[in-house]
Amino acid sequence: MATKQVQTTCAYCGAGCQIMFTVDTDKNKIVNAVPAKGRTNDGTLCLKGHYGWDFINDPQILTKRITKPMIRKGGKKSALTEVSWDEAIKYVADRLTAIKKEYGPDSIMCTGSARGPGNEANYIMQKFARACIGTNNVDHCARV
Amino acid sequence: MRKFVKGNPDLCIGCRTCMIGCVVEHEGRRIFEIDPDGYDFNPRLHMVKTAKISVPVQCKHCENPACMAACPVNCIKVINDAVVIDTDSCIGCKSCVQACPFGAIDMVSKIGTQQADGSMRVVANKCDLCVGTGNGPACVRVCPTSALTLVDEEKLKEVVCDKRVATANAAKVFADAKEVE
Amino acid sequence: MGVHEIEDAKLIFNFGYNGADSHPIVQRRIVRAKQKGATIICADPRVTEAARIADVHLQLKGGTNIALVNAMCNVIYNEGLVDQHFIDTMSVDYDAFVEIIKKYTPEYAETICKVPAELIRKAARMYAKAPSAMILYGMGVCQFGQAVDVVKALGSLALMTGNYGKPASGIGPVRGQNNVQGACDMGALPNNYPGYQNVTNPDVQAKFEKAWGVKLSNKVGVPLTHVPQRVLEEKDPAKKLHAYYIFGEDPAQSDPDVAEIRETLEKLDFVIVQDIFMNKTAEFADVILPSTSWNEHDGVYSCCDRGFQRIRKVVEPPSTVKTDWEIICEISTAMGYKMKYKNTEEIWNELIDLCPNFAGATYEKIEKYGCIQWPCRSKDMNDKGTVFLHNGKFATADGKGKFYTAEWRPPQELENEEYPLSFSTVREVGHYSVRTMTGNCRMLRNLEDEPGWIQMNPADCEKLHIKHGDLVKVMNKRGWCITRCNATERVAKGATYMTYQWWIGCCNELTIGSNLDPVSNTPEYKYCNCRVEKIDDQAAAWDYVNNEYKDLRSRMGIKMIGEEA
Repeated sequence: MATKQVQTTCAYCGAGCQIMFTVDTDKNKIVNAVPAKGRTNDGTLCLKGHYGWDFINDPQILTKRITKPMIRKGGKKSALTEVSWDEAIKYVADRLTAIKKEYGPDSIMCTGSARGPGNEANYIMQKFARACIGTNNVDHCARV
Repeated sequence: MRKFVKGNPDLCIGCRTCMIGCVVEHEGRRIFEIDPDGYDFNPRLHMVKTAKISVPVQCKHCENPACMAACPVNCIKVINDAVVIDTDSCIGCKSCVQACPFGAIDMVSKIGTQQADGSMRVVANKCDLCVGTGNGPACVRVCPTSALTLVDEEKLKEVVCDKRVATANAAKVFADAKEVE
Repeated sequence: MGVHEIEDAKLIFNFGYNGADSHPIVQRRIVRAKQKGATIICADPRVTEAARIADVHLQLKGGTNIALVNAMCNVIYNEGLVDQHFIDTMSVDYDAFVEIIKKYTPEYAETICKVPAELIRKAARMYAKAPSAMILYGMGVCQFGQAVDVVKALGSLALMTGNYGKPASGIGPVRGQNNVQGACDMGALPNNYPGYQNVTNPDVQAKFEKAWGVKLSNKVGVPLTHVPQRVLEEKDPAKKLHAYYIFGEDPAQSDPDVAEIRETLEKLDFVIVQDIFMNKTAEFADVILPSTSWNEHDGVYSCCDRGFQRIRKVVEPPSTVKTDWEIICEISTAMGYKMKYKNTEEIWNELIDLCPNFAGATYEKIEKYGCIQWPCRSKDMNDKGTVFLHNGKFATADGKGKFYTAEWRPPQELENEEYPLSFSTVREVGHYSVRTMTGNCRMLRNLEDEPGWIQMNPADCEKLHIKHGDLVKVMNKRGWCITRCNATERVAKGATYMTYQWWIGCCNELTIGSNLDPVSNTPEYKYCNCRVEKIDDQAAAWDYVNNEYKDLRSRMGIKMIGEEA
């Protein structure tokens, strides 16, 4: 089995622990996680750091990984239909544009994410809210 | 002298990383690949939290094990200096559970071991110091606060030595108090 | 201050913060500090792991934080334990502060917070006399209707004793979710652009307008916790919300009073959910956009002590999903505002150049040093960031610390005859947030699973004739759930606690969404009332739980054994 090691920051709390993952590159799967030497974690991890990664292989325990864009074509409460990315992006853009036109930019609320996505994605989201939509209605679950 | 793992409640934060470490060590890393209902989750140590104490409890690997003496089918053996239950020969009689003064043994069912009537085998379960896995006790290795220690003869001697010094100092205090009187 | 500094503290005042469950690796530092001889004072209504090893445990009643802090300040003032030189040279508004704390004698505070007056005195003396003292606080301070007042009062406690600007001193929030700091740093806030630059400041607005090539709004936006009100109650059409773009969050599980959240999501014209797993909010989405998880993309997180650290793509994502930033850029471009980037570093370089405090924190430096604590203003490789935020002077206009405290305000919803117990949300160590990730991890699921637990004092359990492990019904006027009873001496009589990961034992069916802190808009997750009821037919209750779980998993797209793949 061909493997590689990748160090990253644990996403399960604000401590910012460093984890070293071993990846089976043939199967594109994580096979192991061990603590790495970081400023805050000093070569230790808690249970979430050690054992909180097999969700990535979609083990079908609590909830299913979403892999395709989906739209409720029959309106609220109708079933979700898988669509292409092009269709999904166009659908969102058209609906948001229509709502902005009818009710103004402040009728749209956006969230950032204090969880997995990272700083760059949050920057892009608030830039989207402010520069594209034209509203400061952007906030995240800091208080939750 | 047989080694054993001891938890320190001053360092333990009750997180139970040790309990998962134990399961992963005994089931093997395949556990992260297989059917989520296709393996046993039977930690061999258990976190106990009282009003003032948090600490995992596990087998002390007694020199004269009461469990071993109580087992009617001789399935508790000493392997590589650890007291180990041979779960293949265990008949599930619970004698060892009752004999152990520390609550270190519990009864667990083993997935994939159907008996004639279709029921699952239930066997005794306890710490085996990860004998045979080659990595030493997993609980000690994964504990984020170093609250678990593998105590060997040398460490035990150190502890005894420290206690003797403390006792000696206490004797002096007692003598001083006498003088004041 | 930095996390690594905690273990060198001489005294730690751990206030409303349960590191053992929310940040075990921070708790590790507290334990080590204790081993190195630090004194620990812990203020918490529960016997947490920190309380257990504390020299003094101030087991206050929930919702009385400020009474306790004011009383400690009162003792320090009356007993002349203040650092007068520091107060004179480094602070303002001391007299107004003293006027308020005068009333909070330990005896008076005892009537509110139920901590014996002598213990308050003891803790105050210990804190004031320590050579240096560090305050760590968490959600037990922040998740109340009176929260920011308490933070400022704790800041004042540190001010009056000169506990700033030296190693292992000051006051530090230890933040809950992994990148709360980062989302704030990046301006995912209704009042701030990235780098804490205010949207109402015309110079700032002009700078961002120039950089982004578009006219921007100077009107402060809507905070997340106001969304239900802006959808359900707002009469002014100009203020009503019609669309909600939710990204990496699950308000239908995580927000207070989820019945109200469900109604909100139903009423909105258009709901976009962008996430990695199906969740309760996605059930209300008009469109779902699949994105990458934290092991499948590059980027930077900010940890709780302002440290920028890299995250890296560990495995390739499924071929049909996109990264969050790619999705947003494509929507923006389709709406006529073009956004296009090659990678996260290009985004990062754009944003640090717009934020003076981040300007020096390049990918190159973060790679080289592992972590950069902002402020880091120069791109020079020798600027490695800042460990102490208040080094020598305060980050205020006059460089001085501002004293502030307030009168105690009780929580909004108190115990009564119908609902005689208090109810608070807390954390589960083995699960993260709403559990979409950790609930799909085998070992973490095995350790703790539905329907969770309600922590109760054994005396209360006895009164209700329930025992440890029994399924019980927990309810108040907003909602109810079924969970297991955890009878433990670690909680006081009359108080109950539930963790917020459980989808069946869903504590946010009960929490209150209307009492927000007036400054931070944080909901009062840590206080409302409830009643616990015994369930006579336990077997039927377990059937209910198991069927609910099965139904829930099926709604979340899980194929059960025996079903067609």
